[in-house]
Amino acid sequence: MDEKKLIADAQSGDKKALAEVVKNYEQTIYNFAFKICRDRDKAEQIMQETFYSMIKSLHQFDGKSKLSTWLYRIVTNHCLMLARKLKSRQFVSIDDEEGLFEEKYTADWSSIPYKGAENKELREKLDNAIKKLAPEYRMIFLLRDVEGLSTEETAQVSELTVPAVKSRLHRARAFLRKELNEAFIK
Amino acid sequence: MSGKKIECKEAMNYVCQSLGEDLNSEKCAAIKTHLEECVGCKNYFKSVEITIDCYRKYNVEIPEDAHNRLMKFLDLEE
Repeated sequence: MDEKKLIADAQSGDKKALAEVVKNYEQTIYNFAFKICRDRDKAEQIMQETFYSMIKSLHQFDGKSKLSTWLYRIVTNHCLMLARKLKSRQFVSIDDEEGLFEEKYTADWSSIPYKGAENKELREKLDNAIKKLAPEYRMIFLLRDVEGLSTEETAQVSELTVPAVKSRLHRARAFLRKELNEAFIK
Repeated sequence: MSGKKIECKEAMNYVCQSLGEDLNSEKCAAIKTHLEECVGCKNYFKSVEITIDCYRKYNVEIPEDAHNRLMKFLDLEE
């Protein structure tokens, strides 16, 4: 069924249509929540809260943006709220760019067996690196580079300006690359 | 082109800033030239691409019981 029609039906109280909307996006939302918090239980909790919020405010959705963009905004907010609540982790500060672009980090990665992220050891390295990144940077990297949103959509979802998104994005990329470089080359 | 020599650090910073963006500016042309000539920066560029690719390919499937709990939580069970 056409998504517009499905949303309209869901907005008018059709439970079947609402269930269909949830089913269409649950994989995306669960996967994205996991990518931000790197924990399956938390991802499930965030997914539930996201869809609960969606249902509560679906009548406000005006169709000017894509439903997926709107949902990314909700899930991102829930992820940030959870991160603030937990607040237990110390994140590495990347406000200062100096350490991110040291010229010694020019190792050749061509021999690194990175293909197929199902590799457990590689997944651990990826988890460890991104967990050090503050959620505010993490979400920008994930929205723009991993989920493939445009810079403008990322700005809309994160309620930041386009220059702020670009600034956070390039620092996050440099930071993750540096962390992985150290993990790979060790 | 301005003829200004691009330093490696500048190239690395630029690669992180401009990946996926418009690559037709004059500055970009200078960076591309630098990348063609500088093995270190070429490796750097490649490693940023690989970093993004690794995270892009790292996905998890929603377990069936998590789906069932979600539909129950939302009171949308069939």
